[in-house]
Amino acid sequence: MARGAVAPGAEGSAGLKWTATIGLLVIVAVPCLFIVIQAIFPDFGSGSLAAPFSMFFKTLADPDLFGLAGNTLLLGVGTVLCAAVLAVPIAALRALFRIPFALIWDALLLIPFMIPPYIAALGWIMTLQPRGYLEQITGFNMASLLFSVTGIMLIMGLNTFSVVYFVLSRTFETIGARYSDVGRVFGAGQWRSFWRITLPLAMPGLAASLLLVFAMSIEEYGTPAALGRRIGFEVLVTGIENRISEWPIDLPGSATLSLVLVSMALIAFMLQRWLLTRRDYRIVGGKPQAHDKRNLGVWTVPATLLFALVAFLATGLPILAILATALSRTISGGLALSNLGLDNFRQLLGTGSDGLAALGNSLMLGTTTALLASLLGAITAYSVVKGRGRFRIVLDALSITPNSLPGVVVAVGIILAWNQPWLPVTPYNTPFILLLAYICILLPQPVRYATASLHQLGDNLEAAGRVSGAGPLKAFVRIVLPLILPSMVTAMILVFAVASRELVASLLVAPVGFTTIAVFIWQQFDQGSAGLGMAMAFCAVLITTLIPLLLISLLRWFSRGSVAGLN
Amino acid sequence: MKRFSLALVLGLLASTAAHADVTVYSAGPGGLIKNLAAGFTEKTGIKTNVFQATTGKVMARLEAEASNPVADVVISASWGTATDFADKGLLLSYDSPNAKTVPDFLKMEGAVAQGVAGLIIAWNTQSGTPKPADWSDLAKPEYKDLVTLPDPAASGGTYTLVEAFMANDMEDVLQGLKDNGAIVAGANKAALNPVLQGAKAAVFAGVDYITMTAADGGETIEAIFPASGTVVAPRPMMILKSSQNQDEAKQFFDYVLSEEGQQAVAKVNLMPSRTDIKVDRPLIGDLKLLSTEGAPARDDVLAGFKKIFN
Repeated sequence: MARGAVAPGAEGSAGLKWTATIGLLVIVAVPCLFIVIQAIFPDFGSGSLAAPFSMFFKTLADPDLFGLAGNTLLLGVGTVLCAAVLAVPIAALRALFRIPFALIWDALLLIPFMIPPYIAALGWIMTLQPRGYLEQITGFNMASLLFSVTGIMLIMGLNTFSVVYFVLSRTFETIGARYSDVGRVFGAGQWRSFWRITLPLAMPGLAASLLLVFAMSIEEYGTPAALGRRIGFEVLVTGIENRISEWPIDLPGSATLSLVLVSMALIAFMLQRWLLTRRDYRIVGGKPQAHDKRNLGVWTVPATLLFALVAFLATGLPILAILATALSRTISGGLALSNLGLDNFRQLLGTGSDGLAALGNSLMLGTTTALLASLLGAITAYSVVKGRGRFRIVLDALSITPNSLPGVVVAVGIILAWNQPWLPVTPYNTPFILLLAYICILLPQPVRYATASLHQLGDNLEAAGRVSGAGPLKAFVRIVLPLILPSMVTAMILVFAVASRELVASLLVAPVGFTTIAVFIWQQFDQGSAGLGMAMAFCAVLITTLIPLLLISLLRWFSRGSVAGLN
Repeated sequence: MKRFSLALVLGLLASTAAHADVTVYSAGPGGLIKNLAAGFTEKTGIKTNVFQATTGKVMARLEAEASNPVADVVISASWGTATDFADKGLLLSYDSPNAKTVPDFLKMEGAVAQGVAGLIIAWNTQSGTPKPADWSDLAKPEYKDLVTLPDPAASGGTYTLVEAFMANDMEDVLQGLKDNGAIVAGANKAALNPVLQGAKAAVFAGVDYITMTAADGGETIEAIFPASGTVVAPRPMMILKSSQNQDEAKQFFDYVLSEEGQQAVAKVNLMPSRTDIKVDRPLIGDLKLLSTEGAPARDDVLAGFKKIFN
């Protein structure tokens, strides 16, 4: 482990650099620019540049802002802590030891990604509130925990910890036992070598995924809105959303608050960057590695129980709550046998085109977004990690920005940008506008995954390719891409899952007459058909889980072990 | 990438080709606007594009699109949006021949009500609490910690009710609710859900048609019109001056105010705006209405509410 900054050895290809720059400019910078303009010029929406900064300072001088920003930080840090406590132990166990049913736990822990957070929050409310499902079954409720700041953190931790789990177990696996074996040869105990060698080497993955959780939680709307509003716990994103969703609309105010939120995420990002560049984390050097996992011995049963408990809380309980509501004819009828039936599912498939069309639209958009966002993400990360020059930090910062922009603000930025009357053609009011919005919102995920993965990739492999006569593009496609593919597959699954259930932006920019899964569910709730909405949510979770799992199995079958890490 | 860009360009060309349809931005319920759009297209052959969301989201989209408006007709759930748009000079004035039997307080220059919602107490009949008869009942000990109310900042109906309470010096009812442990729970649906499951017993300032529709679906919930009177929330329908399809928009107006359109409105348990449409539910003429005359300005109403519930 050489100390000092990572030396950019490979020069990268100019073509890749330009693709990344132009892609980011069009998809991320343009909407962001329009949000900044909107914050400064309050009447920009109607095409006027009058009274600059009149609303900007008024919003920033609002005494409530400190409370909102403080609550946001508190929620972000609390959620990160909950997610880390849930994820680190099981990720280490999963990567370094033989766990019974390991693949089943992986599949189960993938599901929290697929459950829309607002649906999960609703599921928790319907389970834990007085006379909720828990009380109907066991006779007691946990309303006081649920409707508290701790409760919001716990639930958001449960919704997001699998991001950390998957990244970290991959990273631990790549590090393998090899480095800690060296430590043990020199006399360190098992714990000592984990704390001093394995965990520090996993820092890129840990820092990157915790940053993602932080950014996801300060940007998350559904859970704080469903739970926080009742206890008067408002965060920046609910403040932003309320300014946009409650008449009279305050676009400049919400744009200004978004800028506060973005600066918070950028500070977290700088912190992560500083952590990462202080040391050298390259561990993939081309030497063959044996993935030998140890036996847990007497600890096998407790470890399995731990996995079962975490999987039940994160996946089982919300899914059961969704299913209970979907199977109930009426909410007030409760869990009585006479009240249960398949009516909602029948109606969902019976309404025919509506629900099914929404499903088709979302799956199509989700897949396209996953492919395009991952490709752009990999190229961006490559240009940032292996490239040279000042523009790298701009690209990097630009790629993380949307992570902290609430979806609803991205939506407003996109409308402002792409509905300008002087544009000869525009994707606005076509499904392509949703594609633009989704890629913008989700780009940070593949970029983070690819960056963490590239930080562990030595330059000698690519250099060897170049020496043997491959051009920069060929070296990227043939050497770098296959090596970061496992991380990219994880990223694609995440992007697919989130894109196929995105709500807040879809609700605002969806072209007229175009319905996605989340919009359909939302419309059912809005009409008071909670059961039908939950039935759709259940089907969507099922489909968005099964498709990636099938894809991974297929990939593994085709590659037959020739791509490392797909196991 | 190349193939994708080609697909993008083709998609754009295809989307800009079709025109002379009417584009309607409407607040919920989704079923109503879907039926109206389908009925209108069937009758006139004019294609209807619908964007349906909450009043807030519709207004946000309109505001972001202001430099290049897309909508022809806007239907919102809050009368205040119509007066605001009229003040800004955004509305086209149109006197539909079908609006003759719409009472004067349900129309103004540039807008006419599509239908009207009433504010009620939504009470769970299986909650084990006595049936409330008036707003003030919910401040009694039987309903301790069992009442929710929508946030007036998020619900136009609740706002109007709070406004009326302030105009009629009835703030003590709100204070009584607060002292009795009532919680403010977001928008209308967020306030109703805990009452359906039984976590709470009643919604103070529930919306009548949402509650009646839930009851029609078998939920054990009842819409109670309070004895001391209530307020109504007319849902303004407007044509934007910027519309490129004003003739089609006017025809859509006529259709919504026609007998058939008003029956569709009644089908989702809203009160029709026209007084000559008879349906089986309490109508505007049957309700005792509280006046909002002399109420303070919006910011003061919300601040007054916040002062009680914080």
